[in-house]
Amino acid sequence: MKRVGLESSIAIAEAVKMANVDVISAYPITPQTHIVERLAQMVADGEVDANYIPVESEHSAMSGCLGASAVGARTFTATAGQGLELMHEVLYVASAMRLPIVMSVCNRALSAPLNIWGDHSDVMAVRDTGWIQLFAENAQQAFDLTLCAFRIAEDPAALLPTMVHIDGFHLSHVIEAVLLPEADEVKKFLPPFHPLYTLNPDKPVTMGDLAAPDVYAETKKMQDEALRNSREVVLKAWQEFGKLFGRNYSPVETFRAEDADVLLLTMGSFSEIAMEAIDLLRGKGEKVGGVRLRLWRPFPFGELRQAVGGAKLLIVLDRAISFGGPGPVCAEIKAALSHLEKKPQVIGFVGGLGGRDIPVKGFQDMIHRGMDKAAKGQFDDFEMFGVR
Amino acid sequence: METLGVYAPRLVTRRRGFAPGHRACAGCGESLAVSLVMKALGRNVIISMSTGCMEVISTQFPHTAWEVPWIHTLFENSAIVASGIEAALKALRRKGASLPQAKVVAMGGDGATFDIGLGAISGAFERGHDFLYVCLDNEAYMNTGIQRSSATPFGASTTTQPAGKVGMGQLTWKKNMPAIAVAHGIPYVATASPSYPLDLITKVKKAAEIEGPTYVHILSVCPTGWRIPTNMTIRVGRLAVESGVFPLYEVEKGKYTLSYDPPKLRPVEDYLKPQGRFRHLTAELIDKIQQRVTAEYDALREKAAHE
Amino acid sequence: MAFNRISGQAHIRMRSAVTQPDIVVVLDPGLLVISDVTSGLKDGGALVINTPRELEEIKSKFGGPWRLAVVNATAIALELLKVPIVNTTMLGALIKASDIIKLDSLTELMEERFGKMAQRNIEACQRAYEETSVAGPSPVSRKAEKAHVAESLPSWRDFAPGFVITEPGNSRSYCTGDWRAERPVSNHDLCIKCGICSLFCPEDCIRQNEEGYFEADLYYCKGCGICARECPTGAITMVEEAKG
Repeated sequence: MKRVGLESSIAIAEAVKMANVDVISAYPITPQTHIVERLAQMVADGEVDANYIPVESEHSAMSGCLGASAVGARTFTATAGQGLELMHEVLYVASAMRLPIVMSVCNRALSAPLNIWGDHSDVMAVRDTGWIQLFAENAQQAFDLTLCAFRIAEDPAALLPTMVHIDGFHLSHVIEAVLLPEADEVKKFLPPFHPLYTLNPDKPVTMGDLAAPDVYAETKKMQDEALRNSREVVLKAWQEFGKLFGRNYSPVETFRAEDADVLLLTMGSFSEIAMEAIDLLRGKGEKVGGVRLRLWRPFPFGELRQAVGGAKLLIVLDRAISFGGPGPVCAEIKAALSHLEKKPQVIGFVGGLGGRDIPVKGFQDMIHRGMDKAAKGQFDDFEMFGVR
Repeated sequence: METLGVYAPRLVTRRRGFAPGHRACAGCGESLAVSLVMKALGRNVIISMSTGCMEVISTQFPHTAWEVPWIHTLFENSAIVASGIEAALKALRRKGASLPQAKVVAMGGDGATFDIGLGAISGAFERGHDFLYVCLDNEAYMNTGIQRSSATPFGASTTTQPAGKVGMGQLTWKKNMPAIAVAHGIPYVATASPSYPLDLITKVKKAAEIEGPTYVHILSVCPTGWRIPTNMTIRVGRLAVESGVFPLYEVEKGKYTLSYDPPKLRPVEDYLKPQGRFRHLTAELIDKIQQRVTAEYDALREKAAHE
Repeated sequence: MAFNRISGQAHIRMRSAVTQPDIVVVLDPGLLVISDVTSGLKDGGALVINTPRELEEIKSKFGGPWRLAVVNATAIALELLKVPIVNTTMLGALIKASDIIKLDSLTELMEERFGKMAQRNIEACQRAYEETSVAGPSPVSRKAEKAHVAESLPSWRDFAPGFVITEPGNSRSYCTGDWRAERPVSNHDLCIKCGICSLFCPEDCIRQNEEGYFEADLYYCKGCGICARECPTGAITMVEEAKG
């Protein structure tokens, strides 16, 4: 184990290297470029033994992964914002065809207007694609979760492609201290990939047929069951990871939430800034706490209900907007809590769009504003925070 | 030729890679093309196919006509899926996996090749992957109901550019896809027709054996979309070649060779007349087509002569 | 299977498939063998069949508490329209069996729809009307009460992950031979066993028998006629498929 100062992007590249990836099929896009550039350099230096396909578009980046994974190769790509959108239709195919591709997404705002900075609109657009999705909040998690992603995706009980989300620029381009494991430790954690079916002339199979109305629904049921059941795979992988490397991850993580009246739910790098704000408010005697979703898909219904059930007020910050609709994460939280007898009131905010920062004071203000609205019974669908 | 006592067709292998029981229309020239391509390729292949006629008619769950490993994902990406397969095989073999010999072959219709998938093909050719791309060209989006593509020939009536009271069908000339392939500098490009099956088989075998990206363009006569009787598939394919509309040639490392150069080309009218999709053409338009075909054929002959 | 609802109402809200028809029209006699065409047919309804067989023979197999009408629409269509496409022809039979609309009502509509081809279609329709034989309801002759056997469709648990098909070439079990209107017949006196027919068959279903003659596998043969056309000695002829 050694402690190094690394950009999250570089940390991710290190994880991919330690995972002994076979094929990288990637297209550059800000702010993911450092990941693919570092990987390219590693391949050029013989540090990573993989075939690097410099494709001509993101649609092709993911399509190249499909082919590679179908042959049994351990496959990786990375993208952001517009790139994730361009490969949209391919994402559904990857999960339906049960190809355990791992992808790093440096969450970025969607055009128009053009904005290369971080928010979660790209993530929210791919909620339904059937991928396992994890959120990292710092460089260590960016490394750890990427390594876990290969293990989770390739588990025979999952066999599902997995995304690891990190905030564009706020994480991708920030250098932090990261603990890197030794190669033999990683080997214990990550076994070689043994796919169920591959494209092999010795045992020919047909992948990707046409399913008429009388069978399509059944294939989707099977796929949904697989994604829901993959929760067990995620838990098991994190348990093992904790034993080997001493860092424990859960689908929903809380911060000073045990006796909190008010909880703030965030995802991504905002979570750590929010923790600073919570510490300050606790210092003043306010009973506030934080909740973070680490596992986004499959949605951690049980863990979420347990984490927030006891609070009086839950404030949800969405870092994406669904035009004309409710805040995406907030809506899912409300739905998860709807049938509970004992549940908190929920206030939703949308903020941090297009890379706009919310500093510590901003989070304090948000918590107070949420409390104020709840006291006055102002339960609207959401309020845009920090907009002039 | 092994012996004059044996007819050449009987030398063609009976082993299939593409089984009957598929749902192609009766008389489908494209399914014949696939059948012949598979006889040329043998079993040590991995096929990456685009959405289109052949994909839909051959893999309706729970059936598959494919007896070799086969994958279909989307419409525009057979070339890049093939690239991924090829790269993965290289990586895995280099890292010690023992995998059987397998030529990677991408297949797509004219829609997938000329239009929506052109970018991916260009990328795959430019990156130099070791794979064969076979274009099955029936000159329109046939599977979805005969809509035009950029492979639809001048004057042909399709549902999205039909002949009508003021419209004459396709207004533009067929995109020259083999030339686009040649422009990428790939080692082998060829045109073929199931009406000349032994030539087709020879070319596909050759293309598969060459290392690097190769391209074979097969004119697939479609009775349904071209509006001809189902038994005319082979004849119309022959007329396409004999009239110079679809010349058979190879381009090896940029050098052109005509596979078949008839001493005198048949008038294009002979080719156009039997087809319902050209029924509306006036003598003037037919003449225009004739002029263009003659000019392009002469230019092709020139290229072949100077090499 | 296609369906149609005809009603005096201004707007029909039902869009599901018809499972209890008042009228069943069978355009392809081949379906009589592979489908239960009387499934759900209401008492007092009508069953209209395109077949070369006689009414009495059809009645013995498909009779029941419904009107039965038969006509050789394929023969009429081939004669008058030169193609075995029987949709307009069968309209004549449908009208004869069911009085659903008047035959005359079709004339103007056909002219509008078919333009130059209208006359031939109208003629075919009228011929069918004249030649259709109709029989009244009779006692149920086959087990018409048996419920339509639902094909055993897979449960979601039965699929391989990624719905991969693991049996290569299993399309071989699908009988495309049911499609054809004509079949190839080979004259062995003329056949020189060259194999050209086999090379050009889009189904790749022509193989040599023990004597070396090339024969089409009728389980798959779609009757396209390419083999007959390409045969250099004219040994193969296409004959009408006797169906149903």
